[in-house]
Amino acid sequence: MASVELHEVRKAFGALEVIHGVSLHIEDGEFVALVGPSGCGKSTLLRMIAGLEDISGGEIIIDDAVVNDLTPRERNIAMVFQSYALYPHMTVAENMGFNLRLSGASKAEIAERVNEAARMLDLLPLMERKPAQLSGGQRQRVAMGRAIVRNPAVFLFDEPLSNLDAKLRVQMRSEIKTLHQKVKTTSIYVTHDQIEAMTLADRIVVLNQGRVEQQGTPMELYKNPANLFVAAFIGSPAMNLLDGTIDAEGGEAAVRLSDGTAIRIAQDRKVRRGQPIKIGLRPEHLSPGKAGTALTGQTLLVEPTGAQTHVIFDLAGQPVTAIVDGEYPQRHGSLFQASIAAEQVHVFDRESGVAL
Amino acid sequence: MTDIASSPPIDAATAPGSGQRLRATTQIYMYVALILVAIIVVVPLISTALGGFKTLSDLRGNPFGMPTEWQWSNYGDIIVSQRYWLQMGNSLVIAVLTVFLTLAFGAMAAFCFAHIRFFGSDYLLNYFLIGLMFPAATAILPLYIRIRDLGLVDTYWGVVLPQVAFGTGMSIMLFRNYFRNLPSELFDAAFVDGCGYMRFFWHITLPLSRPIIATVGIISFVGSWNSYILPLIMLNSESRYPWPLGIMIYRGEFNTEWQLVLAFITLTILPTIIVFFLAQKHIIAGLTAGAVKS
Repeated sequence: MASVELHEVRKAFGALEVIHGVSLHIEDGEFVALVGPSGCGKSTLLRMIAGLEDISGGEIIIDDAVVNDLTPRERNIAMVFQSYALYPHMTVAENMGFNLRLSGASKAEIAERVNEAARMLDLLPLMERKPAQLSGGQRQRVAMGRAIVRNPAVFLFDEPLSNLDAKLRVQMRSEIKTLHQKVKTTSIYVTHDQIEAMTLADRIVVLNQGRVEQQGTPMELYKNPANLFVAAFIGSPAMNLLDGTIDAEGGEAAVRLSDGTAIRIAQDRKVRRGQPIKIGLRPEHLSPGKAGTALTGQTLLVEPTGAQTHVIFDLAGQPVTAIVDGEYPQRHGSLFQASIAAEQVHVFDRESGVAL
Repeated sequence: MTDIASSPPIDAATAPGSGQRLRATTQIYMYVALILVAIIVVVPLISTALGGFKTLSDLRGNPFGMPTEWQWSNYGDIIVSQRYWLQMGNSLVIAVLTVFLTLAFGAMAAFCFAHIRFFGSDYLLNYFLIGLMFPAATAILPLYIRIRDLGLVDTYWGVVLPQVAFGTGMSIMLFRNYFRNLPSELFDAAFVDGCGYMRFFWHITLPLSRPIIATVGIISFVGSWNSYILPLIMLNSESRYPWPLGIMIYRGEFNTEWQLVLAFITLTILPTIIVFFLAQKHIIAGLTAGAVKS
């Protein structure tokens, strides 16, 4: 196991810089998720840590040693790929033992370590099969087994669940978490799926256009997004973002929407009267009824998901999603009234997008 | 109730069943074209094989029909002759050496062109590919001088080396296209596992390249097996002649025994046809590799 540190790491393809001086510290044994939309540079950053991509500037330190010029093998890392990247002509056992074979381990040692990893991942009955004879989930487990066998200092996961169907993805997510709890190896996990990041990671790093937007525990990011990008990215369904202006309502700071609706906000927000802002309302914080600020609008869409129902209603000419109990009787076209507590209203500067 | 009279008229092109009719017509044309191509390929082969069973006069009077009298001795005499087996052996040695070297050089060079960018790599690749435009026959005189200077005239190598040189461009092109279409994640995974370029080539690329190896192998085997001009120029001793030169024995100054030539050709092309049928699946897979996303 090892800590991983990035100091002002940069990557440029010719004149185009795609990673703009990223600095991170990942503790020994920590599980960190790099999240962001497609093209934000998260996979490039992971490949730079792996040694599969040269870095244009900065330093990558693994276990207190600068590894900028070391090969992936010398960095003592293992990587799980989105497409599994299993060798099609080798059996499961050969795939898992290939790296040990290359390092000159004895046949007995290879067999012992491969079997140990296979037992951990429930792969023993599949050892003589070729990848083509395995299901997607089994292939991904083999890919993880291949990584475990070498007992690396750092695990790198590059969107490992993206090719699986929804049900298998949930199952494999649990397996990855269980695996990390067992082996406690430092892990860096790249995903564009914020649910995966929230459920798996000790800490999430949100990337956008090659820059770190915010990092913190999943709940820190969820509760206190630093800016509009993080606010919109973390949470499912996404946070509702509405334009408004700071005003006063009953002597307290509030946001006035375009239709005149006033929404009270926490009094410690650093805002000034007349300031153009955006407010963020999490769908799960909009509860039906009149407990806080009442927000009323016509129901545009009702989406039952079983335990919960998503009600999309019109508020000041903008669609707003609220999550209500699955049994809640709401019909398309009828009036929907929700309320939200002032402390749960997120406020962002409309120009800079920074949380206020 | 639906008012049929007010319904829009059905366009003949979009009417149900018109699609099937169009497909059926296309298939008929396709089959006619394929049958024509098959006839063009098969008729000379069958005529050659049948011609080997005829007498010379029968062959002249009836070149495409069945033999009036089956002359089994035409084939029998060739098969029992020592010269036939010697020439087949020579052809085999030259073809195997050509195939092995073409595969080795072609695969290694193509791997570099597919995975490693180095100064001038594009120019070097184009230099090899330009070789595709020149058949060996066009350079026969300078080739002979070079082979003579190397002291390789009247040796197998005098035929093998030019054949390898002229086959390398094609093999590089086919191998390179195939290697570039192998998933890049395999390269990444192998690199993380501790492979360098050599190990990746040996442990991952080659085992996954059987279709293209079969394709290039067969193409260079057939090219070498049928080669006539190069052996004719480079080889002097009859004991080193491959089979295409063996045909010359049946050509006299005033008369050619065509029935024996045809029997000889039939017997010598048989091995390549058998090899082709055995490797057919791999050859097609190799030639179409990368055409569609897998």
